Amino acid sequence: MQRNRRKLLQMLAAGAAFYGPWKLNRAWAQSGQKKPLTIGLTMDASGQFGASGQMERLGAMLAIREFNEKGGVLGRPIEAIHIDTETTPATGSRVAERMINRNEVAFLIGALSSGVANAIGQVAQKYGCVYLNTNSSSPTESGRDCHRVKFVWDGNGTNFANAIVKNAMRTYGNNWVLLTNDYVWGHNTSKATRQLLEANGGKVIDELMVPQNTRDFSSYLLKLQQIKPAVVAAAVGGDDQKAMRQQVVQAKLDRAFGWINNQQDWPDVYGLGPDAIFGIFGTTWYYRLDLPGVKEFVAKYQKTYPGMAIRVPGNVYYNGYVATRELLRCVQEVGSTNNLAIIKKMEGRKMSAADRMQHDDAWINPDTHQCQQTIYMASYNDKPAEKDDIFKILTQADPKSIADAASMQSCKLESYAQTPSYEQ
Amino acid sequence: MEFLANLLPHLLNGVSLGLLFALIALGFMLIVGVMEVINLAHGSLFALGAYVAITLMGWKVSYALAFLLAPLVVGGVGMLLELCLRRTYGKDPLYGLLLTFGAALVLEELIRLTWGSNEKVLPVPEAFNGAVLVGGLIYAKYRLFACLAAIGMIVLLWLFLEKTPYGAMIKAGAHDSEMVRALGINLPRLRLFVFALGTALAAVAGIVMAPIWGVRPHVGVDAVVPAFVIIVLGGVGSFWGAVLAGLMVGIVVGLTGAYASEWSLLSMYLLLIALVTFRARGLLGKKTALEN
Repeated sequence: MQRNRRKLLQMLAAGAAFYGPWKLNRAWAQSGQKKPLTIGLTMDASGQFGASGQMERLGAMLAIREFNEKGGVLGRPIEAIHIDTETTPATGSRVAERMINRNEVAFLIGALSSGVANAIGQVAQKYGCVYLNTNSSSPTESGRDCHRVKFVWDGNGTNFANAIVKNAMRTYGNNWVLLTNDYVWGHNTSKATRQLLEANGGKVIDELMVPQNTRDFSSYLLKLQQIKPAVVAAAVGGDDQKAMRQQVVQAKLDRAFGWINNQQDWPDVYGLGPDAIFGIFGTTWYYRLDLPGVKEFVAKYQKTYPGMAIRVPGNVYYNGYVATRELLRCVQEVGSTNNLAIIKKMEGRKMSAADRMQHDDAWINPDTHQCQQTIYMASYNDKPAEKDDIFKILTQADPKSIADAASMQSCKLESYAQTPSYEQ
Repeated sequence: MEFLANLLPHLLNGVSLGLLFALIALGFMLIVGVMEVINLAHGSLFALGAYVAITLMGWKVSYALAFLLAPLVVGGVGMLLELCLRRTYGKDPLYGLLLTFGAALVLEELIRLTWGSNEKVLPVPEAFNGAVLVGGLIYAKYRLFACLAAIGMIVLLWLFLEKTPYGAMIKAGAHDSEMVRALGINLPRLRLFVFALGTALAAVAGIVMAPIWGVRPHVGVDAVVPAFVIIVLGGVGSFWGAVLAGLMVGIVVGLTGAYASEWSLLSMYLLLIALVTFRARGLLGKKTALEN
């Protein structure tokens, strides 16, 4: 009896294994439609970068929507699935595995936390699935942890340090304290700041580590007052940074030292109020850049996502959009979703300044897979043209002047032969 | 001498931080101690308190009035939760744990749907805006207010539990619920009241902490974890144990933040492990049958 039951189960399993895909493919064949191209969105919806993750997801969704309005890509409609990566590397790995194996996604897009991006990148490389790291900016992402399938779209900690450090030394002085979020992005961003500072005659008099999910900065603020640095260089991100900014302002320490925050993500500062925006910080894009296409891009955001709490798009949304758009363009140009063909198309790819709504032409470095782009330095805008105009763009740095030379040395991309072929 | 002079502000800061931790743990302690229910929704109710206060202040309600009204609203939500919990009394504690965990998820999602995922700011009252100079160091006025609020809440709750007949009933209900029922006290109503009070205290903590930590749907997680550590550290059900544990955690976190900052969050767990290893029932917890 038991043997019969086992046999029956085996037959059912074999039938399902055959019938499932057959039924699916037959359905596509009979309908005359092409199988949708599925993109896996690996954005945080909770944890330290939950708010930013939601914004980059909207940016990616707009690019997908635009392509679908034109008939999809390669005649295939584009579908997106999103699973929350929870700002947790282990979740990032699990989500990537699931999306590749179960959801059969063609590409993976999304990251804020460099720890999560690294975890997803490893899984993506194992299968050969092209992965766009949209917004995580540890220099290791295009350095030590680079991968043939991974493309990094944001400026990294070294780029921002190159753009800001020398100016800040001139303005404020040479004795610095580093306030470092205790994970891969914070470590490597502070490391880049330290190297540049020391190379130019400055001195790091202390480095205070800020564990992820720190909500109380009082002991740090007291310590800073005891140390009395000229500059506090903060590499603190996400919710930690929001709490820090509020507490710095409450203690009226925003003017006590020169503050630089390596990179300021728009969702981390939007809505905190003008008082909480202090110091000098970097960004890759601002919604009031006086460039063609910017106004239209902002209007499209507002039309597509009416009633959003964040009324205008910022750098995180922008990166999500331009990265996804560029990938889909490459698919269209290659005429295939084959990973190696797309990787080759993207390596060294040039993108015009006008197309990207920045001041300089951008390109993807074929040796590190990082997008080389304009970096803007900004501060609080004391003469806003409207309510949301909270940044004052001070200056901009062209991609060559702020290039991350160290990543070029530490990045060892896998060869094409070492990268599994992948196509969905 | 110079080292001591540098250390003193961090010790004081640790005490103030400890008072805030104690404030966060008070409502949690009340429900665990009296009803033996681990309310995992405490963090979500903490967040809800802050969100309700933000909404009220958006309607031009003053901070003081929002401080009074928001806990009442959250206390009402707590009552609903207690009504749902009733079916779990007398059963495996896991049922209560699962129900409150589910409630925490539901509340967090409801907050997300109602107020969105983005950061909200609860404005600091004008009187507490700015900073003061304490021992040559700048300290935020609001933080001093938060410490005073924490001391006020601790004293008020202690007076209520120790000096009023309701407090006596609550404590008696915790010790011997059958006897309390036999004396004609309406035990279900008493439990409903205790739950409402505990959740209202969560809301008070949420409102006080909002300008310091910021407000986002998952901010409750930041509150419930230290609250849990403090309750275990202080001894489950011990009022002064919770206060003492809050202060200890605050001092340890404050000092490690200043001198070994990468250990600052981990330090509270190390403290818990060290203490529980040598004193399993916590600082002021009662002896269990196993220890006799």
